[in-house]
Amino acid sequence: MKDNFRQSMKWFHTWVGLSVGWILFFMFLTGTLGYFYQEITRWMEPERPFIEHNLSNEQLITTAQTYLQKNAQGIDKWDIYLPTVRNQNLRVGWRNPPEDGKKRGRYKTTVLDITTGEKVESRATGGGRLLYRMHYRLHYLSTKISYWIVGFCAMLMLLAVVTGVVIHKKIFTDFFTFRAKKGLIGWLDIHNVLSVIALPFHFMITYSGLLFFLFTYMALSTNLQTNEDEYREMRKEIFPRTIHTDSANQAAAMQDLSSLYQQAKNTWKKDELSAIEVFAANDINAQVRFIRHETDITYNPNDYVRVNAITSEVIEQTPREYTVAGMIHNGFYSLHEGQFAGPLARWIYFLTGLIGTAMIASGLILWTTKRKPKQLKKLNGPDFGYRLVEQLNIGTIVGLPIAIAMYFYANRLLPVSMVGRVDWEANVMFISWALLLIYPAFRPATKAWREQLQLAALVYIALPLINALTTDKHLVNSLSQQDWGFAAFDLTFFTVGCCFAFSAYKYKTLQPKKVVSRKKRRQDNTLDNDNRLQLPRISKENG
Amino acid sequence: MECLVSYFINFFNEPSPRWAIFSRVLAATFGGYALATSSALFISQLLSSSAGRYQAIHIGLLLSFLVYACAAMWVFSASNATKAWIGLIKWNLAFLFGTWLLMQFSGASH
Repeated sequence: MKDNFRQSMKWFHTWVGLSVGWILFFMFLTGTLGYFYQEITRWMEPERPFIEHNLSNEQLITTAQTYLQKNAQGIDKWDIYLPTVRNQNLRVGWRNPPEDGKKRGRYKTTVLDITTGEKVESRATGGGRLLYRMHYRLHYLSTKISYWIVGFCAMLMLLAVVTGVVIHKKIFTDFFTFRAKKGLIGWLDIHNVLSVIALPFHFMITYSGLLFFLFTYMALSTNLQTNEDEYREMRKEIFPRTIHTDSANQAAAMQDLSSLYQQAKNTWKKDELSAIEVFAANDINAQVRFIRHETDITYNPNDYVRVNAITSEVIEQTPREYTVAGMIHNGFYSLHEGQFAGPLARWIYFLTGLIGTAMIASGLILWTTKRKPKQLKKLNGPDFGYRLVEQLNIGTIVGLPIAIAMYFYANRLLPVSMVGRVDWEANVMFISWALLLIYPAFRPATKAWREQLQLAALVYIALPLINALTTDKHLVNSLSQQDWGFAAFDLTFFTVGCCFAFSAYKYKTLQPKKVVSRKKRRQDNTLDNDNRLQLPRISKENG
Repeated sequence: MECLVSYFINFFNEPSPRWAIFSRVLAATFGGYALATSSALFISQLLSSSAGRYQAIHIGLLLSFLVYACAAMWVFSASNATKAWIGLIKWNLAFLFGTWLLMQFSGASH
């Protein structure tokens, strides 16, 4: 391509990054929010009570079973989710019978009030789950198409990471180099630092992301080597799972789940229950699966105790072994999802995710910064491609965070009884994003940047306020009740808003300075001093 | 709209180097995918006796993304597009031939 390998890779890195940079930005940002999806859902269902309790798992299980017996008759499979540090509510879930013309019914979870055992009515919302699912299940597109688009983008991301390492001569020294206020060089340093600081994370998250749909993407290879039966057998070897227990359509009384739980406790020697699955409920075939917490990346998803719910004998208690490749594959899943992470590790995940997002953003900005001097000298104004990139940069890097804030606004402000509320929360988000993508087309780039940064600051700083006006879970209440989930939300929104306000301020102050120091620049005509030339000045010089 | 159309006309204006780049993009995307697949076949044949057939296939798949990435990088570092295509075809044939050879040794039907 170019004279030498490094130059070729530099070119390749630039264009690979640019071509899907905006989708990657979307995937990284919504995916990063996914590390707090349970917390986000709780914030978006403010009707849920904040609970501090000292009930035993047995008492909670009994509450759940009583509710399910009453409300989920005729449903084959029940799920019970016990309260965790992240989600203090007891929840039950089941899949409703499919509606006409559909293959699968809707899965529905219900939050239970642990003191009364009754359902907690809360507003309809997509919650954190809908938000984080967008990063691989692109909202409006069909499942299949989004998996392929996401895979394509992830593959280019992998290429960008690898080529990024290749083109780096001094990966260590560059880490300690920061030449701010030098335009192009400044952005290059930022991009380098953000990339190097979390390089293992960037690689891990991209590669593991690809592994999620490995068998979809590399279907040609498996199709060449296995027939349908062999393929199914292979999948079973790679991901050993219990086969669904079908009901015999013969009613039988189940034992109390809380007494069956004793069996699991005996095996585990510890009280670390995460969830319960009941198969063939109230049937002669009824079985219960007690599932343990995910503790680290070597966690085996089959780490459960299976008990016959009628006779209370243990059916299975040692998890099935994975193959080595299966362990590695599974370990990458765990690393990607970070389900095992405690509060500190979760925040680190969140921050590294944001670093990844910022790395993509800085790369995109770098592309325009590098071409700016040449583009602004053109007689007919900048090229269409250059303007498009700049517009997409503004509309995505600042526009998407605003759109995500609008998702939260929609949750608080749309009428609770509204029909199709869940859909409209997401629609509000994407409509705002579309508007913010179009807006920069009608404004000069510098103004569009500043205005959108100001808007972002405004919406994020106002979010705690809206929360206080629409719910009783404002900062004073949440802090005094030590409801850290809600308090952290308000404080994070405020911090993010302040960061945007600071960027807007910085952006404003950095711009005119360069015009003032015009004389100095003439004397010292180096490349990086030339990078922040202003449009009006150049046109004067040219004309 | 007009500027958009003229932009794309200019973009693919012959004899511009953009056709060569387009050719490389195709080579990296489809040739790279073919190479990822053929390398996966080779690796799974290589390991099937030691790791078991299904695990060997799995390992081949796990590594295929890395092969894909290397192939794409190589396509864009070759001195011209034709060389990139020829190189890809050579490697593909090499992997397929290797797979065939291993199959002769192991006597597998697949």
